[in-house]
Amino acid sequence: MEELRKILLELLSKVPGLYCVLITDRDGVPVIKVLTDKAPDLATRPSFLSTFGLAIDQGSKLGLGKAKTLICTYSQYQIIQINKLPLIISFIASDTSNTGHILGLEKYIDPLLVNLTVAVADTQ
Amino acid sequence: MEKHLDRVMDDVLSNPGVTSCVFVDHQGLCLGARGKASTECAGIIGAIADQAAKLEPQHKSPIIVFENDTRACIIQRNGTITGAIFKNI
Repeated sequence: MEELRKILLELLSKVPGLYCVLITDRDGVPVIKVLTDKAPDLATRPSFLSTFGLAIDQGSKLGLGKAKTLICTYSQYQIIQINKLPLIISFIASDTSNTGHILGLEKYIDPLLVNLTVAVADTQ
Repeated sequence: MEKHLDRVMDDVLSNPGVTSCVFVDHQGLCLGARGKASTECAGIIGAIADQAAKLEPQHKSPIIVFENDTRACIIQRNGTITGAIFKNI
């Protein structure tokens, strides 16, 4: 777990304006959380993170298949959430941060999720 | 809507030695890609152009060239759009 945290911290420093990386379960409960002091408190709470599950359920009704990514841009922040059910990866960044660069981090995080996915799936 | 960009990308690719090209918007999201280049490299291309522009902010966007023995990648930002061309040398 400590090694995973180290890798996520490294990713955090790779993208300018990236404040926080969270890996949570489908209810928004953090499995691992790496953040800088600029990360907004409210956006790291389960009540906010769990809305992703609802949003992708609604999104799938559009008939375009299962939703993979959700990008929300606000006035000061952007939230990028990636569907890895039973896990959700959430990135919180500045609104001016490079969205494509953050999306590109997925391939670095993917191999780290294998063990976590098994652990979370077992408990559900 | 993207017909014009498609035409530009086809034009770029018709040049000798060019293997692929990618166009990226100001958020690092892929506008289009042709050839062997992956749309996944869009973000990093935007980030490279951003970082290089910080070296001399008072001047216009630089042209960035990454080169090895056989291939080159040329990146330039123009306004909000960044283009990358991959070619054999």
